Amino acid sequence: MPVTSTTRLAVSEAFSRREAAGGRLAEESERIAQACRDMAARFQRGGKLIVFGNGGAGTDASHVAVEFMHPVIVGKRALPAMALGNDAATVTGVGTREGFDEIFAYQVRHWADPADMALGISPDGSCTNVLRGLEAAHELGLFTMGLVGADGGAIARSPAVGHVLIAGSSDPAVVKEIHVTVYHVLWELVHVFFAQSGPVSPSREAVR
Amino acid sequence: MDDEASSGGIHRLYPFLYADRAAQSTHPDLARDEGGTGHGHQGPTAARHVNRSTEAKAAEIVRLREQVAELHADRLAQCAEAMAARFAAGGRLFTFGNGGSSTDAQEVATAYLHPLYGRPLPALSLTSDIALVTALSNDVGFDVVFARQIAALGRPGDIAVGLSTSGGSSNLVQAFEEAWGRGMLTVGLAGYQGGRLAELEELDVLDYLFVVPSSSVHRIQEAQTTIYHVLWEVTQHVLGAVPAGG
Repeated sequence: MPVTSTTRLAVSEAFSRREAAGGRLAEESERIAQACRDMAARFQRGGKLIVFGNGGAGTDASHVAVEFMHPVIVGKRALPAMALGNDAATVTGVGTREGFDEIFAYQVRHWADPADMALGISPDGSCTNVLRGLEAAHELGLFTMGLVGADGGAIARSPAVGHVLIAGSSDPAVVKEIHVTVYHVLWELVHVFFAQSGPVSPSREAVR
Repeated sequence: MDDEASSGGIHRLYPFLYADRAAQSTHPDLARDEGGTGHGHQGPTAARHVNRSTEAKAAEIVRLREQVAELHADRLAQCAEAMAARFAAGGRLFTFGNGGSSTDAQEVATAYLHPLYGRPLPALSLTSDIALVTALSNDVGFDVVFARQIAALGRPGDIAVGLSTSGGSSNLVQAFEEAWGRGMLTVGLAGYQGGRLAELEELDVLDYLFVVPSSSVHRIQEAQTTIYHVLWEVTQHVLGAVPAGG
Protein backbone atom coordinates (compact mmCIF):
# COMPACT_ATOMS: atom_id res chain seq x y z
CA MET A 1 0.00 0.00 0.00
CA PRO A 2 1.55 3.35 -0.98
CA VAL A 3 1.70 5.68 1.96
CA THR A 4 1.26 9.42 1.73
CA SER A 5 4.36 11.53 2.27
CA THR A 6 2.85 13.53 5.13
CA THR A 7 2.20 10.32 7.07
CA ARG A 8 5.78 9.17 6.53
CA LEU A 9 6.99 12.59 7.64
CA ALA A 10 4.86 12.40 10.78
CA VAL A 11 6.56 9.11 11.69
CA SER A 12 10.04 10.60 11.27
CA GLU A 13 9.12 13.68 13.28
CA ALA A 14 7.71 11.54 16.07
CA PHE A 15 10.96 9.59 16.38
CA SER A 16 13.27 12.59 16.19
CA ARG A 17 11.31 14.38 18.95
CA ARG A 18 12.37 11.58 21.32
CA GLU A 19 16.12 11.72 20.92
CA ALA A 20 17.09 14.62 23.19
CA ALA A 21 14.81 13.61 26.06
CA GLY A 22 16.10 10.04 26.03
CA GLY A 23 19.69 11.20 26.23
CA ARG A 24 18.95 13.43 29.22
CA LEU A 25 18.20 10.37 31.35
CA ALA A 26 21.94 9.86 31.81
CA GLU A 27 22.06 13.02 33.94
CA GLU A 28 19.83 11.33 36.51
CA SER A 29 22.16 8.37 37.07
CA GLU A 30 23.47 9.51 40.46
CA ARG A 31 19.99 10.19 41.81
CA ILE A 32 18.77 6.83 40.53
CA ALA A 33 21.65 4.98 42.20
CA GLN A 34 21.01 6.73 45.53
CA ALA A 35 17.35 5.79 45.48
CA CYS A 36 18.17 2.18 44.61
CA ARG A 37 20.60 1.87 47.53
CA ASP A 38 17.88 3.05 49.91
CA MET A 39 15.32 0.74 48.36
CA ALA A 40 17.61 -2.30 48.57
CA ALA A 41 18.09 -1.58 52.27
CA ARG A 42 14.32 -1.42 52.74
CA PHE A 43 13.81 -4.71 50.92
CA GLN A 44 16.51 -6.24 53.15
CA ARG A 45 14.48 -5.16 56.17
CA GLY A 46 11.37 -6.83 54.76
CA GLY A 47 9.82 -3.75 53.20
CA LYS A 48 7.54 -3.92 50.18
CA LEU A 49 7.11 -1.58 47.25
CA ILE A 50 3.74 0.13 46.74
CA VAL A 51 3.26 1.72 43.32
CA PHE A 52 0.49 3.95 41.96
CA GLY A 53 -0.44 6.26 39.12
CA ASN A 54 -3.39 7.28 36.94
CA GLY A 55 -4.32 6.28 33.40
CA GLY A 56 -1.26 5.22 31.42
CA ALA A 57 0.88 5.73 34.54
CA GLY A 58 -1.41 3.25 36.29
CA THR A 59 -0.30 0.63 33.78
CA ASP A 60 3.29 1.58 34.58
CA ALA A 61 2.55 0.99 38.26
CA SER A 62 1.33 -2.51 37.37
CA HIS A 63 4.42 -3.04 35.24
CA VAL A 64 6.74 -2.06 38.11
CA ALA A 65 4.93 -4.43 40.46
CA VAL A 66 5.16 -7.40 38.07
CA GLU A 67 8.82 -6.53 37.39
CA PHE A 68 9.67 -6.97 41.09
CA MET A 69 7.28 -9.86 41.80
CA HIS A 70 8.19 -11.90 38.73
CA PRO A 71 11.70 -11.00 37.56
CA VAL A 72 12.45 -11.51 33.86
CA ILE A 73 15.99 -12.57 34.67
CA VAL A 74 16.21 -16.17 35.78
CA GLY A 75 17.63 -16.57 39.26
CA LYS A 76 16.60 -13.16 40.56
CA ARG A 77 14.49 -13.41 43.67
CA ALA A 78 10.96 -12.06 43.79
CA LEU A 79 10.73 -8.88 45.86
CA PRO A 80 7.35 -7.86 47.32
CA ALA A 81 5.50 -5.21 45.35
CA MET A 82 1.90 -4.18 44.71
CA ALA A 83 0.14 -1.77 42.36
CA LEU A 84 -2.80 0.17 43.80
CA GLY A 85 -4.68 0.65 40.55
CA ASN A 86 -5.40 -3.04 40.03
CA ASP A 87 -8.31 -3.43 42.43
CA ALA A 88 -11.13 -1.80 40.50
CA ALA A 89 -13.62 -2.51 43.30
CA THR A 90 -11.55 -0.62 45.87
CA VAL A 91 -10.55 2.16 43.46
CA THR A 92 -14.15 2.87 42.45
CA GLY A 93 -15.41 2.24 45.98
CA VAL A 94 -13.03 4.70 47.64
CA GLY A 95 -13.50 7.07 44.70
CA THR A 96 -17.24 7.13 45.29
CA ARG A 97 -17.22 7.44 49.07
CA GLU A 98 -14.01 9.23 50.02
CA GLY A 99 -13.35 10.90 46.68
CA PHE A 100 -10.97 10.22 43.80
CA ASP A 101 -8.16 12.17 45.47
CA GLU A 102 -8.09 9.53 48.22
CA ILE A 103 -7.92 6.31 46.16
CA PHE A 104 -4.20 5.75 46.73
CA ALA A 105 -3.79 7.39 50.16
CA TYR A 106 -6.57 5.20 51.54
CA GLN A 107 -4.90 2.01 50.36
CA VAL A 108 -1.48 3.19 51.58
CA ARG A 109 -2.88 3.88 55.05
CA HIS A 110 -4.42 0.42 55.27
CA TRP A 111 -1.62 -1.60 53.68
CA ALA A 112 1.68 0.09 54.42
CA ASP A 113 4.24 -0.82 57.06
CA PRO A 114 6.89 1.72 58.06
CA ALA A 115 9.64 -0.26 56.26
CA ASP A 116 7.76 -0.03 52.95
CA MET A 117 8.42 2.13 49.90
CA ALA A 118 5.89 4.23 47.98
CA LEU A 119 6.49 5.04 44.33
CA GLY A 120 4.08 7.50 42.72
CA ILE A 121 4.09 7.96 38.95
CA SER A 122 2.67 11.12 37.36
CA PRO A 123 3.67 12.36 33.89
CA ASP A 124 3.15 16.03 34.81
CA GLY A 125 3.78 15.73 38.54
CA SER A 126 0.44 17.27 39.40
CA CYS A 127 -1.86 14.30 40.06
CA THR A 128 -3.52 15.13 43.37
CA ASN A 129 -4.27 11.53 44.31
CA VAL A 130 -0.66 10.48 43.65
CA LEU A 131 0.60 13.34 45.84
CA ARG A 132 -1.92 12.39 48.56
CA GLY A 133 -0.69 8.79 48.38
CA LEU A 134 2.92 9.90 48.80
CA GLU A 135 1.98 12.23 51.68
CA ALA A 136 0.16 9.42 53.48
CA ALA A 137 3.21 7.20 52.93
CA HIS A 138 5.57 9.87 54.28
CA GLU A 139 3.46 10.29 57.41
CA LEU A 140 3.82 6.57 58.09
CA GLY A 141 7.61 6.70 57.67
CA LEU A 142 7.84 5.09 54.25
CA PHE A 143 10.52 5.78 51.65
CA THR A 144 8.79 8.00 49.09
CA MET A 145 9.65 8.53 45.46
CA GLY A 146 7.99 10.46 42.65
CA LEU A 147 8.55 9.50 39.02
CA VAL A 148 7.41 12.59 37.15
CA GLY A 149 7.87 14.65 34.00
CA ALA A 150 7.46 18.20 32.69
CA ASP A 151 8.56 20.58 35.48
CA GLY A 152 7.90 18.00 38.19
CA GLY A 153 4.75 19.78 39.40
CA ALA A 154 3.49 19.71 42.97
CA ILE A 155 4.95 16.26 43.56
CA ALA A 156 8.53 17.41 42.89
CA ARG A 157 8.04 20.37 45.26
CA SER A 158 6.44 18.40 48.08
CA PRO A 159 8.51 17.95 51.25
CA ALA A 160 6.79 14.56 51.63
CA VAL A 161 8.58 13.19 48.57
CA GLY A 162 12.10 12.04 49.42
CA HIS A 163 13.29 11.15 45.94
CA VAL A 164 12.20 12.79 42.70
CA LEU A 165 13.14 11.67 39.21
CA ILE A 166 12.04 14.02 36.44
CA ALA A 167 11.88 12.86 32.81
CA GLY A 168 12.96 15.89 30.82
CA SER A 169 10.04 16.33 28.41
CA SER A 170 6.65 18.02 28.42
CA ASP A 171 5.15 15.39 26.09
CA PRO A 172 3.42 12.83 28.34
CA ALA A 173 4.06 10.04 25.81
CA VAL A 174 7.80 10.76 25.75
CA VAL A 175 7.81 11.07 29.56
CA LYS A 176 6.27 7.62 29.80
CA GLU A 177 8.91 6.13 27.51
CA ILE A 178 11.68 7.52 29.72
CA HIS A 179 9.87 6.27 32.82
CA VAL A 180 9.90 2.72 31.42
CA THR A 181 13.69 2.85 31.11
CA VAL A 182 13.99 4.43 34.57
CA TYR A 183 12.03 1.71 36.32
CA HIS A 184 13.84 -1.03 34.45
CA VAL A 185 17.16 0.46 35.62
CA LEU A 186 15.67 0.92 39.08
CA TRP A 187 14.74 -2.75 39.29
CA GLU A 188 18.15 -3.85 38.08
CA LEU A 189 20.14 -1.62 40.45
CA VAL A 190 17.95 -2.54 43.42
CA HIS A 191 18.95 -6.15 42.76
CA VAL A 192 22.61 -5.17 42.44
CA PHE A 193 22.59 -3.43 45.83
CA PHE A 194 20.34 -6.07 47.36
CA ALA A 195 22.69 -8.90 46.36
CA GLN A 196 25.71 -6.89 47.42
CA SER A 197 24.37 -5.98 50.83
CA GLY A 198 24.12 -9.61 52.04
CA PRO A 199 24.98 -11.81 53.73
CA VAL A 200 21.67 -13.62 53.48
CA SER A 201 21.70 -16.74 55.61
CA PRO A 202 21.53 -20.03 53.64
CA SER A 203 18.53 -21.21 55.64
CA ARG A 204 16.53 -18.13 54.67
CA GLU A 205 17.54 -18.61 51.07
CA ALA A 206 16.48 -22.26 51.14
CA VAL A 207 12.87 -21.62 52.11
CA ARG A 208 12.23 -19.47 49.04
CA MET B 1 17.63 -15.67 26.34
CA ASP B 2 20.08 -12.83 26.71
CA ASP B 3 23.26 -13.27 28.64
CA GLU B 4 21.73 -11.62 31.68
CA ALA B 5 19.55 -14.66 32.01
CA SER B 6 21.60 -16.61 34.47
CA SER B 7 21.98 -16.54 38.21
CA GLY B 8 25.52 -15.25 37.83
CA GLY B 9 24.20 -12.39 35.70
CA ILE B 10 24.69 -9.64 38.26
CA HIS B 11 28.31 -10.65 38.84
CA ARG B 12 28.96 -10.52 35.14
CA LEU B 13 27.09 -7.25 34.63
CA TYR B 14 28.62 -5.46 37.58
CA PRO B 15 31.99 -7.11 38.30
CA PHE B 16 33.33 -3.85 39.77
CA LEU B 17 30.94 -4.14 42.72
CA TYR B 18 32.36 -7.45 43.73
CA ALA B 19 35.95 -6.41 43.16
CA ASP B 20 35.32 -3.53 45.54
CA ARG B 21 33.73 -5.76 48.08
CA ALA B 22 36.58 -8.23 48.05
CA ALA B 23 39.09 -5.43 48.47
CA GLN B 24 37.32 -4.03 51.51
CA SER B 25 36.69 -7.45 53.10
CA THR B 26 34.01 -6.02 55.38
CA HIS B 27 30.25 -6.12 55.03
CA PRO B 28 28.74 -3.16 56.84
CA ASP B 29 24.98 -3.09 56.83
CA LEU B 30 23.73 -1.30 53.75
CA ALA B 31 20.75 -0.12 55.78
CA ARG B 32 22.84 2.45 57.61
CA ASP B 33 23.33 4.16 54.30
CA GLU B 34 19.75 5.27 54.09
CA GLY B 35 19.34 8.96 54.58
CA GLY B 36 23.07 9.44 54.55
CA THR B 37 25.21 10.76 51.77
CA GLY B 38 27.85 8.04 51.76
CA HIS B 39 28.09 5.10 49.45
CA GLY B 40 27.93 2.44 52.18
CA HIS B 41 30.52 -0.22 51.65
CA GLN B 42 30.54 0.56 47.99
CA GLY B 43 33.57 2.64 47.08
CA PRO B 44 33.54 5.74 44.92
CA THR B 45 34.89 3.76 41.96
CA ALA B 46 32.02 1.32 42.13
CA ALA B 47 29.56 4.21 42.44
CA ARG B 48 30.97 5.72 39.28
CA HIS B 49 30.61 2.40 37.51
CA VAL B 50 26.96 2.09 38.59
CA ASN B 51 26.30 5.57 37.25
CA ARG B 52 28.10 4.76 34.04
CA SER B 53 26.04 1.60 33.54
CA THR B 54 22.87 3.73 33.81
CA GLU B 55 24.32 6.17 31.29
CA ALA B 56 25.17 3.26 28.98
CA LYS B 57 21.60 1.99 29.15
CA ALA B 58 20.24 5.46 28.37
CA ALA B 59 22.51 5.61 25.33
CA GLU B 60 21.54 2.07 24.34
CA ILE B 61 17.80 2.81 24.22
CA VAL B 62 18.35 6.03 22.26
CA ARG B 63 20.36 4.04 19.68
CA LEU B 64 17.77 1.27 19.61
CA ARG B 65 14.98 3.78 18.91
CA GLU B 66 17.00 5.16 16.00
CA GLN B 67 17.44 1.64 14.67
CA VAL B 68 13.70 0.97 15.01
CA ALA B 69 12.96 4.19 13.12
CA GLU B 70 15.29 3.15 10.30
CA LEU B 71 13.89 -0.36 10.14
CA HIS B 72 10.20 0.31 10.52
CA ALA B 73 9.32 3.93 9.64
CA ASP B 74 7.74 3.06 6.28
CA ARG B 75 5.71 0.18 7.65
CA LEU B 76 4.66 2.23 10.68
CA ALA B 77 3.30 4.89 8.34
CA GLN B 78 1.42 2.23 6.34
CA CYS B 79 0.10 0.60 9.50
CA ALA B 80 -1.12 3.92 10.93
CA GLU B 81 -2.98 4.63 7.68
CA ALA B 82 -4.52 1.16 7.73
CA MET B 83 -5.60 1.59 11.36
CA ALA B 84 -7.00 5.05 10.68
CA ALA B 85 -9.02 3.66 7.74
CA ARG B 86 -10.45 0.93 9.98
CA PHE B 87 -11.36 3.39 12.74
CA ALA B 88 -12.92 5.76 10.19
CA ALA B 89 -15.12 2.89 8.99
CA GLY B 90 -16.27 2.05 12.54
CA GLY B 91 -13.61 -0.49 13.48
CA ARG B 92 -12.61 -1.11 17.10
CA LEU B 93 -9.25 -1.96 18.62
CA PHE B 94 -8.50 -4.99 20.80
CA THR B 95 -5.13 -5.26 22.57
CA PHE B 96 -3.42 -8.11 24.42
CA GLY B 97 -0.13 -9.28 25.92
CA ASN B 98 1.25 -11.18 28.92
CA GLY B 99 3.01 -9.88 32.04
CA GLY B 100 4.71 -6.54 31.44
CA SER B 101 3.25 -6.60 27.92
CA SER B 102 -0.25 -6.83 29.41
CA THR B 103 0.36 -3.45 31.02
CA ASP B 104 1.42 -2.18 27.58
CA ALA B 105 -1.78 -3.60 26.11
CA GLN B 106 -3.75 -1.65 28.71
CA GLU B 107 -1.78 1.49 27.97
CA VAL B 108 -2.42 1.13 24.22
CA ALA B 109 -6.16 0.71 24.82
CA THR B 110 -6.44 3.72 27.11
CA ALA B 111 -4.24 5.83 24.79
CA TYR B 112 -6.80 5.34 21.99
CA LEU B 113 -9.94 5.43 24.11
CA HIS B 114 -8.98 8.38 26.30
CA PRO B 115 -6.41 10.23 24.20
CA LEU B 116 -4.12 13.11 25.12
CA TYR B 117 -5.65 15.02 22.21
CA GLY B 118 -7.61 14.22 19.09
CA ARG B 119 -10.35 11.72 18.54
CA PRO B 120 -11.32 9.18 21.23
CA LEU B 121 -11.42 5.78 19.50
CA PRO B 122 -13.02 2.55 20.71
CA ALA B 123 -10.35 0.29 22.23
CA LEU B 124 -10.39 -2.54 24.75
CA SER B 125 -7.60 -4.41 26.48
CA LEU B 126 -8.35 -8.13 26.69
CA THR B 127 -6.23 -8.45 29.82
CA SER B 128 -8.36 -6.29 32.09
CA ASP B 129 -11.36 -8.50 32.84
CA ILE B 130 -9.94 -10.77 35.52
CA ALA B 131 -13.20 -12.76 35.75
CA LEU B 132 -12.89 -13.71 32.07
CA VAL B 133 -9.14 -14.29 32.16
CA THR B 134 -9.34 -16.62 35.16
CA ALA B 135 -12.49 -18.36 33.91
CA LEU B 136 -10.99 -19.12 30.51
CA SER B 137 -7.64 -20.16 32.02
CA ASN B 138 -9.29 -22.41 34.58
CA ASP B 139 -11.94 -23.98 32.37
CA VAL B 140 -10.27 -24.15 28.98
CA GLY B 141 -6.61 -23.15 29.10
CA PHE B 142 -4.40 -20.12 29.15
CA ASP B 143 -3.67 -20.41 25.42
CA VAL B 144 -7.22 -19.35 24.57
CA VAL B 145 -7.63 -16.36 26.91
CA PHE B 146 -7.34 -13.81 24.11
CA ALA B 147 -8.58 -15.90 21.15
CA ARG B 148 -11.91 -16.65 22.85
CA GLN B 149 -12.50 -12.97 23.53
CA ILE B 150 -11.63 -12.08 19.93
CA ALA B 151 -14.03 -14.78 18.75
CA ALA B 152 -16.84 -13.30 20.86
CA LEU B 153 -16.17 -9.59 20.33
CA GLY B 154 -14.26 -9.27 17.04
CA ARG B 155 -15.85 -8.19 13.76
CA PRO B 156 -14.42 -7.79 10.27
CA GLY B 157 -12.97 -4.30 10.13
CA ASP B 158 -11.70 -4.40 13.72
CA ILE B 159 -8.04 -4.25 14.72
CA ALA B 160 -5.97 -6.64 16.86
CA VAL B 161 -2.74 -5.41 18.45
CA GLY B 162 -0.69 -7.99 20.39
CA LEU B 163 2.55 -7.33 22.24
CA SER B 164 5.23 -9.82 23.20
CA THR B 165 8.93 -9.50 23.89
CA SER B 166 9.84 -13.03 22.79
CA GLY B 167 7.25 -13.34 20.04
CA GLY B 168 6.61 -16.85 21.30
CA SER B 169 3.43 -16.60 23.38
CA SER B 170 0.89 -19.24 22.34
CA ASN B 171 -2.08 -17.18 23.44
CA LEU B 172 -0.97 -14.35 21.12
CA VAL B 173 -0.52 -16.76 18.21
CA GLN B 174 -4.03 -18.15 18.73
CA ALA B 175 -5.52 -14.67 19.10
CA PHE B 176 -3.92 -13.50 15.85
CA GLU B 177 -5.13 -16.59 14.00
CA GLU B 178 -8.66 -15.95 15.28
CA ALA B 179 -8.48 -12.25 14.37
CA TRP B 180 -7.11 -12.99 10.90
CA GLY B 181 -9.88 -15.53 10.31
CA ARG B 182 -12.43 -12.83 11.12
CA GLY B 183 -10.99 -10.30 8.69
CA MET B 184 -9.44 -8.07 11.34
CA LEU B 185 -6.30 -6.00 10.80
CA THR B 186 -3.54 -7.78 12.74
CA VAL B 187 -0.58 -5.93 14.23
CA GLY B 188 2.17 -7.56 16.28
CA LEU B 189 5.06 -6.18 18.33
CA ALA B 190 7.95 -8.47 19.23
CA GLY B 191 11.64 -8.56 20.10
CA TYR B 192 14.61 -10.87 19.49
CA GLN B 193 14.00 -12.24 15.95
CA GLY B 194 10.22 -12.12 16.21
CA GLY B 195 9.77 -15.76 17.27
CA ARG B 196 6.53 -17.43 16.23
CA LEU B 197 5.05 -14.08 15.31
CA ALA B 198 7.64 -13.84 12.51
CA GLU B 199 6.23 -17.12 11.14
CA LEU B 200 2.72 -15.65 11.29
CA GLU B 201 3.91 -12.66 9.31
CA GLU B 202 5.31 -14.92 6.62
CA LEU B 203 1.95 -16.69 6.45
CA ASP B 204 0.21 -13.30 6.16
CA VAL B 205 -1.74 -14.01 9.34
CA LEU B 206 -0.06 -10.85 10.64
CA ASP B 207 -0.52 -7.77 8.46
CA TYR B 208 2.19 -5.86 10.31
CA LEU B 209 4.93 -7.07 12.63
CA PHE B 210 7.37 -4.69 14.27
CA VAL B 211 10.38 -6.54 15.65
CA VAL B 212 12.70 -4.64 18.00
CA PRO B 213 16.18 -5.93 17.17
CA SER B 214 17.42 -6.53 20.72
CA SER B 215 17.83 -9.45 23.11
CA SER B 216 17.23 -7.40 26.27
CA VAL B 217 13.65 -7.75 27.49
CA HIS B 218 13.87 -4.33 29.09
CA ARG B 219 15.17 -2.47 26.03
CA ILE B 220 12.63 -4.31 23.83
CA GLN B 221 9.75 -3.13 26.04
CA GLU B 222 11.10 0.43 26.05
CA ALA B 223 11.36 0.54 22.25
CA GLN B 224 7.90 -1.04 21.92
CA THR B 225 6.48 1.77 24.06
CA THR B 226 7.82 4.24 21.50
CA ILE B 227 6.44 2.18 18.62
CA TYR B 228 2.89 2.14 19.95
CA HIS B 229 3.03 5.79 20.92
CA VAL B 230 4.18 6.69 17.40
CA LEU B 231 1.45 4.48 15.92
CA TRP B 232 -1.17 6.23 18.05
CA GLU B 233 0.16 9.68 17.20
CA VAL B 234 0.33 9.03 13.47
CA THR B 235 -3.10 7.36 13.46
CA GLN B 236 -4.48 10.57 14.97
CA HIS B 237 -2.51 12.58 12.39
CA VAL B 238 -4.09 10.60 9.53
CA LEU B 239 -7.52 11.15 11.10
CA GLY B 240 -6.84 14.89 11.03
CA ALA B 241 -6.11 15.50 14.70
CA VAL B 242 -3.62 18.19 15.68
CA PRO B 243 -1.69 18.07 18.97
CA ALA B 244 -2.86 20.56 21.60
CA GLY B 245 -0.77 23.68 21.17
CA GLY B 246 0.76 22.22 17.98
